[in-house]
Amino acid sequence: MKHMLKLFLLLPLFWAVPAHAIDVMDVVKKANHMSYYQAGDGRAKVNMRIIDAQGRTRVREFIILRRDDDDTDTRQRFYVYFNKPADVKKMVFMVIKNMDRGDDRWLYLPALDLVKRIAASDERTSFVGSNFYYEDVSGRGINEDTHTLVKEDDNYYIIKSIPKDPQAVEFASYKSWIHKSTFLPIKTEYYDAAGEKLRSYSALKVDMVDGYPTVTASSMEDHRTGSKTLMNYSAVKYDVGLPENIFTERYLRKAPRKYLR
Amino acid sequence: MIHISETATRRPKAFLWASGLFSLIMIMLVALPSIWPTTFPMLHAIQIDTDPENMLAADEPARVFHNAQKKVFSLYDMVVVGVVNEENPHGVFNKKSLANIYALTAFAKKIEWQDKQGKTQGVISVDLMAPSTVDNIEPGGPGVVKFEWLMNRPPASDAEALSILKKAQNLPLLNGTIVSEDGKAVALYIPITSKNISYNVVEKLKGKIAEFDGNDKYYITGLPVAQDTFGVEMFVQMAISAPMAMILIFLLMWYFFKKASLVVSPMIVAMVSVISTMGLLIISGNTVHIMSSMIPIFIMPIAVLDAIHILSDFYDKYPLYKDRRKTIQHVMKELSAPMLYTTLTTAVGFASLALTPIPPVQTFGLFVSIGVLLAWFFTITLVPAYILLMPEESFANFGMVKDDKGQTTLLTRILHGLGRVTYSGAKLIMLAVFILIGVSWVGVNKIVINDNPVKWFAPDHEIRIADRALNERFAGTYMAYLMLEAPAESDDLGAYAKEMADDMRAQNSAPLTAMVQELAILAQQATDKKELVNLLIKKMEQRMETVPDEEWDSWDNALTWAGEYMNRGEIFKDPEVLNYMSRLQAYLQDTGLVGKSNSLSDVVRTVHRELFMGKPEAYRIPDSRAAVAETLITYQNSHRPQDLWHFVTPDYRKTNMWLQLKSGDNRDMSALIEKVDQFFNENPAPDGISYDWFGLTYINVIWQDKMVSGMAEAFIGSFIIVLIMMVFLFRSLWWGILAMVPLTFTIGMIYGIIGLIGKDYDMPVAVLSSLSLGLAVDYAIHFLVRSREMRKKFTNWKDTSEAVFGEPARAIARNIIVVGIGFMPLLAAPLVPYKTVGVFISSILVLAGIATLTILPALIRLFEGLLFKKNIERM
Repeated sequence: MKHMLKLFLLLPLFWAVPAHAIDVMDVVKKANHMSYYQAGDGRAKVNMRIIDAQGRTRVREFIILRRDDDDTDTRQRFYVYFNKPADVKKMVFMVIKNMDRGDDRWLYLPALDLVKRIAASDERTSFVGSNFYYEDVSGRGINEDTHTLVKEDDNYYIIKSIPKDPQAVEFASYKSWIHKSTFLPIKTEYYDAAGEKLRSYSALKVDMVDGYPTVTASSMEDHRTGSKTLMNYSAVKYDVGLPENIFTERYLRKAPRKYLR
Repeated sequence: MIHISETATRRPKAFLWASGLFSLIMIMLVALPSIWPTTFPMLHAIQIDTDPENMLAADEPARVFHNAQKKVFSLYDMVVVGVVNEENPHGVFNKKSLANIYALTAFAKKIEWQDKQGKTQGVISVDLMAPSTVDNIEPGGPGVVKFEWLMNRPPASDAEALSILKKAQNLPLLNGTIVSEDGKAVALYIPITSKNISYNVVEKLKGKIAEFDGNDKYYITGLPVAQDTFGVEMFVQMAISAPMAMILIFLLMWYFFKKASLVVSPMIVAMVSVISTMGLLIISGNTVHIMSSMIPIFIMPIAVLDAIHILSDFYDKYPLYKDRRKTIQHVMKELSAPMLYTTLTTAVGFASLALTPIPPVQTFGLFVSIGVLLAWFFTITLVPAYILLMPEESFANFGMVKDDKGQTTLLTRILHGLGRVTYSGAKLIMLAVFILIGVSWVGVNKIVINDNPVKWFAPDHEIRIADRALNERFAGTYMAYLMLEAPAESDDLGAYAKEMADDMRAQNSAPLTAMVQELAILAQQATDKKELVNLLIKKMEQRMETVPDEEWDSWDNALTWAGEYMNRGEIFKDPEVLNYMSRLQAYLQDTGLVGKSNSLSDVVRTVHRELFMGKPEAYRIPDSRAAVAETLITYQNSHRPQDLWHFVTPDYRKTNMWLQLKSGDNRDMSALIEKVDQFFNENPAPDGISYDWFGLTYINVIWQDKMVSGMAEAFIGSFIIVLIMMVFLFRSLWWGILAMVPLTFTIGMIYGIIGLIGKDYDMPVAVLSSLSLGLAVDYAIHFLVRSREMRKKFTNWKDTSEAVFGEPARAIARNIIVVGIGFMPLLAAPLVPYKTVGVFISSILVLAGIATLTILPALIRLFEGLLFKKNIERM
């Protein structure tokens, strides 16, 4: 509730929304842009807490760097550098998000001295043991689902999305609450075929950073296991000027310290 | 006592009506809350309890630990479904069979409902283990590692089905568990919210399975299924065996006393006693457990024992008096003392079970004891009352036509012959007794203590068939868990801070040395070690924001050092510990007692191998803690990261080895416990790690141990009490000891036979010892009381024995036959414990009867002088 209040305080900033019928794909595209493509690049320090059904907590901390290839909201790169827990420090996860095929993903494991490509077969596996999936971190392609606007109220567009290839995913559908003025998805719920909730995502806090509305706290809950993951973003920066070459295999072993400090 | 009987004979109708009314009230008190639980919330409804876990009290440490660990590691009781195809050369690894298995899994995941309390019950779908719900990890080409569902969709071809098999066989956690060792069968492990819904879940699964065509065979087993099924069959059992016993006893008595209307009276006694006892059991809030479900079948024959004595005496004496009231008075005068004593001894024998540390056995003992006392009361009131209600004319041709010397019936002739043999062949009888005792001793030493709840079903029961089918093919359906735990850390923060400061100085790192002072200050603020290091790390991070680039690396390293320092306690990431676990697992496999063990070490080794291109030599624990951590975090990138927490707690201070055993015999589990003790003795665990067991298979061993020692105590206790009662009854130590001889001999013999034929000493056998004690002494009491009384009429034992082997011996013999046969219906039971009890209780009573009629007269013959010396003057 507290977070929602904060959100409402921010609302007047983006109040100038025209009140006419809107195409669902427009909403989806804008939401996709706001979630993953604001500015040409960005960095953030992420503190991740995974809390299981018994209340036991595990912490992960990483720096996430992102760079878009161009301004078409398509190909982009992520570089995720782990600081905590100490025993996986310097581990790196890198993604090149493709539009025409599965994403390229790499994992660098420093103690094992291994750089591994992760096969593109399935992106709906856990991201380092959290309740977020890989696809939640890098974004799900907007053309992988059929979207319908099911409801529109004063604040949200509520969109229902049904996967085009149901065999490839664990859910039967999902619903997103897209905030009307920011176009940030504030809530997403995934359902199984029986309509039961599988997982739900919530944006807990939105801040203006360098003029960009940014989700700085979010959670993902798995209703089957009773486990939950909280992500807190700090030191968020946009337009960092990240060079493209740091998103290459060579930099997995030699982290670009300049951008990680 | 005679007073009550007399009152009953004076107001027979009132007594019969009162007992009828009493039974009716009992039935109502049970029926009302059972049928309308909401209307009668203050009353206790009938509650069935089939959980062997309840053999232990709820606060029993082993059980508390078991439940706590199940929670810590998110483990549930499981239904195991095995799928076998004997016609296809590749077993179930064909397109069609796997499609069915896929459909069954999808169906099972959805089994869920709300119970009356609004709690969700059913299958824990996230932890279900089946080909379509587990992950495959394998190299996906050079430099590529691949995570995927093992069977994301039903295979499109037989070849695809075989590739699923190949993948699963390559993963140690799946091979022998989900796919059979011969690569032809599949098993699904279906965790359920609670044991007592397994019957429901199984019925639903069976419904789905019935929709499949094809030649696959589905076997369903697992301890919870066995337990729940047992509960259902227990009722069938009670509904069949008890009435059968009733009918048999009625027919036998009809044969002995030739008058159907008369033998109805013991039947009434038996009915009223059973109804009252079960009524009391249920309305007092006790559950009907496997033990207490046997109460009716125990009370029934015991309840008629006294009535048989009365009727037997009445039958023999009636021709003398030709008057019901006078005959009854004579009979009750003669029998009231021995009947009271036999009742008390029987009650004590059963009540001694209350000394065992096993709640269901305590309840059983207490309530049978109550039932025996009730039966005694109903016998001495209702039987005389009933007789007086019958018209005198109906007894016209009733009773033994000839007197005792007439020797008309076969039984009479046999007993007379026996009487003479015991007199002339007393020494021979005693010689035979000594030889038999010797043989029994050999047998007793061969006794194997063992039990297995699945074997409570007959060998041809579907659960036993499933049990065999699955354990032949898979690593085992019996689960035991071996928990390893790091010792508790000292919480002396000051000492820790001091030690850490020393360690920081020893690192030769400028940033760490710089922070030592800071640490001392922080130690004042922090409440525990973790907080202290976290505060230190925070301080270092703050400093790092301003340090120049050239110093940054050394600060970063210092930060890593501090983080690792904090995680030193995560001992199950330590390669040395994991290697120790691997050695323990190899040792477990070598014992031959464990079908397969699954542990954190398997997870680490498997992931390590797949990261290194699946090379067999990479199947090992990596050399550093960080490398282990990397394999573990890689594992968590799968579809089921939560699986890791079945094997280790997130603080990495407690780990759980899941052992699959092919046998659920307590004997095998005990042997395994011993082997593991031996391993830890010979190979001390690193870092002071301790271990403990949990899991249903282990729990069974615990209650068995308690049962064995508890039974021994109960037996010794009741033996002494009964002996004292005998000494008191006969007012003579020698006579008291004499009364104990037949039952001691009988129990010795029975346990000798159990040892010799190799029957396991299991739960029912254990209960038999105390129980037979109270019953077997009855014959001796009747025999000795009557012998002593008759001795007064004769000058020597020779003549007395002639008389004793008349009516008294006949009453005993009739009892032996009725009770011996009365328990026989238990043999028709589909459940083995009931059969065991039936066979052994019949044998015990028959043997005790024979021992009474042979050993006692032989001993009296041999010690006549000692036994009757003082007696004559006093009586």
